[in-house]
Amino acid sequence: MTTTTPVPTYDEDIYADEALLEPYEHYRRLRNLGPAVWLEKHGAYAVTRYADVRAVLADGDTFRSANGIALNEPANSAILGCTLASDGELHAHLRQVVAHRLTPRSLRPMKEQVTEAADALVAQLVQRGSFDAVADLARALPLSIVPDFIGWPQEGREHLLRWAGANFDSFGPVNERVEKALPQCGEMAAFGAEIVRTGNVLPGSLGASVLEARDRGEVTTEQTMMLMLDYLAPSLDTTISAVGSAIWLFGEHPDQWDRIREDPKLIPNAVNEVVRYESPISSFGRLVERDTEIDGVPVAAGSRVVVSYASANRDERKWADPEVFDVTRKDAVHQLGFGYGEHGCAGQALARMETESILTALARSVTRFELGTPERALNNLIRALGSLPVTVHTAG
Amino acid sequence: MRIAVDRRRCEGHGLCEGQAPEVFTLDDEGEVQSPFFEADLPGELTGPADRGVSACPVAALSLVG
Repeated sequence: MTTTTPVPTYDEDIYADEALLEPYEHYRRLRNLGPAVWLEKHGAYAVTRYADVRAVLADGDTFRSANGIALNEPANSAILGCTLASDGELHAHLRQVVAHRLTPRSLRPMKEQVTEAADALVAQLVQRGSFDAVADLARALPLSIVPDFIGWPQEGREHLLRWAGANFDSFGPVNERVEKALPQCGEMAAFGAEIVRTGNVLPGSLGASVLEARDRGEVTTEQTMMLMLDYLAPSLDTTISAVGSAIWLFGEHPDQWDRIREDPKLIPNAVNEVVRYESPISSFGRLVERDTEIDGVPVAAGSRVVVSYASANRDERKWADPEVFDVTRKDAVHQLGFGYGEHGCAGQALARMETESILTALARSVTRFELGTPERALNNLIRALGSLPVTVHTAG
Repeated sequence: MRIAVDRRRCEGHGLCEGQAPEVFTLDDEGEVQSPFFEADLPGELTGPADRGVSACPVAALSLVG
């Protein structure tokens, strides 16, 4: 496709360590450059404005996920055929095999278990007084819930966090993080294949229901191997990011924690605001199926697009005072941190349940979070703290 | 103006109900229900309906007509 319209370009590496540490100024510059900006270092267009991100995510026929999620070919090939990296009818079919177990209604029986686990964990940490909000809280809860829910066997659990992180790292542009991640993704895939081969999943789990769908002929054995990882890999780092960011934000903004304590009904909105402010997944890619335009910028078939949830969630065109963390923000529910549309996060009900349960338990007793020095965990896609020392103060 | 629902896409996340309980409810099966899938929206409910539609995380709802 030939065009005379100049396409804005950006020559910085937005996956370099410094950019991952301080991404928001890059996003602001990209938003101001135009609706679609050519990233010279990465050979892809960045879509960073809220309305454009939402429009791209809503148009899965033009912006395809198969061969499109990652910014490098090996990773795209490795995940081809999983729900995340499929389109149209195939995607809808694969998704319904698993998603019916993840709907809020199906999760109702989990509510008590998650609440009890969060209450017990928080009670123990409050008693301790000082702890690492990432290792001891943000990681501890999902690890006590998700592997059992998915039915992952006990052996192999020690690798889960490393594999899950590698999965997200692998989706970046070819860089050191991708090179280090790809072999670990291979380990995870091999383990998932072995589970399918041996049927070694906990009875009654989501994994068991996927194997039953295979036995009924609804999905192939190969698809079953993909589905085993599809929901495990994204279910840990994301929630861990949200919980760690929540504690950090409430430590930095004690007035917002007071609001929560005064009115715990704000907690669901607060979770949206945390996910808006510090989007756990910064972006996913798409592959352009046919010549198109993004808000007037021509984009040719075959182009790669980086769809930035994290930038959309800070877009001044959408949000009043986007840099302000406000748990009462009226339209926080519009945040795109869980994606949007047919690929919108299928596990968000569980993620919300976990995060809300932790905040609810904390709000009962903790009056202040006194923060130590946080450390970031760098990942090509996940924005998260790796460590956050905290001392909690209580009323009593 | 009415509300269209894509049943295959709806997973019962319930954010529409959270935004506009006067327009959307989730039934015991977790299925979204609204009188305005069949009947025209009265003017005073178009605002809440729009809030509910735009809160849907999987784009299962839309305003039509």
